[in-house]
Amino acid sequence: MLIPRRVKHRKQHHPKRTGAAKGGTKLAFGDFGIQAVEAHYVTNRQIESARIAMTRHIKRGGKVWINIYPDRPLTKKPAETRMGSGKGSPEWWIANVKPGRVMFELSGVPEPIAREALRRAMHKLPMKCRFVSRESGDF
Amino acid sequence: MSSEVKIQAEPRSEFGKGAARRIRRDAKVPAVLYGHGTDPVHITLPGHELMLALKTGANALLSIELDGKSQLALPKQVQRDPIKGFIEHADLIIVSRGEKVTVDVPIMLMGDPVPDALVTSDHTSVPLEAEATHIPESIELNIEGLEIGTQVLAKDLVLPSGSTLSLDPEALIVNITAVQSQESLDAELAEAEADLGIEHDEPESVDEETAEAQDDETATEASTEE
Repeated sequence: MLIPRRVKHRKQHHPKRTGAAKGGTKLAFGDFGIQAVEAHYVTNRQIESARIAMTRHIKRGGKVWINIYPDRPLTKKPAETRMGSGKGSPEWWIANVKPGRVMFELSGVPEPIAREALRRAMHKLPMKCRFVSRESGDF
Repeated sequence: MSSEVKIQAEPRSEFGKGAARRIRRDAKVPAVLYGHGTDPVHITLPGHELMLALKTGANALLSIELDGKSQLALPKQVQRDPIKGFIEHADLIIVSRGEKVTVDVPIMLMGDPVPDALVTSDHTSVPLEAEATHIPESIELNIEGLEIGTQVLAKDLVLPSGSTLSLDPEALIVNITAVQSQESLDAELAEAEADLGIEHDEPESVDEETAEAQDDETATEASTEE
């Protein structure tokens, strides 16, 4: 699973979820990809789960790129704890994904296989996504 | 080869996001035209016609009709909405007939390499120097039957006549590598799934099912005999 090796601050504020992606909105490496349509936090478990789902479907044929990285920690207070006594302990690592961001890319497989592999991966992600391809024009 | 697309432009006197948004609401696109040492000219283009022109290729040659004059221009930068994809702004650079320009031309891969080979493209487009009126739409690269370990470099590309490459000739374009073996892929995925705590339900084997069925039959026979 993706996890930062070292961070400057263990506990951070929640990142902003407003606005659209400023970069990474086009396919950079592969021929097909998953683009976020909504803003959402994506945990490292969800990223890994999506990667496994698409890799299982394409078997040995293709190559997968992950364009997001879960570099922000989110904290959680233990259950049945009274308020106060400081911030909770780090619980999740998340990537702050804004609409328009191409999160995963795929190449080396025919379009029907890529479409199905990415559809399976989309089910592992928390937000609405769409399939994008280089041949569709805008990319 | 690209042919000119005529687009009627209007001069633009209002600037800033308020004016730009008003223009976009009218299904038009704010644009700027510059080049050849002239002052930039701010113009407004019809959104649908510009979208159709750019759909033919990113290097569509445009003939901008402005105040009764016509100027040839190439799109230098096109800003699109990241989600909906409509054109927000266009930078157009003035070109003249016969002038050499440097543009990015996409590479089209043709054919399939040998089985168990993975094609990785390092460059999906290459910068080419070509005449503004004769810009190739794409460069075809035949990878039919290429062996594992083959590397196609920029100097190996067959360029259309009249165009020259503006890229390091040793730059890697396509790399043909071997696909991952099934054993290593299974091991990697099993390790990743164990890390996540994913467990697969083991399907019951057919032999076990038949053995259970036989056991049931013998049990019922024994009970009827009693």
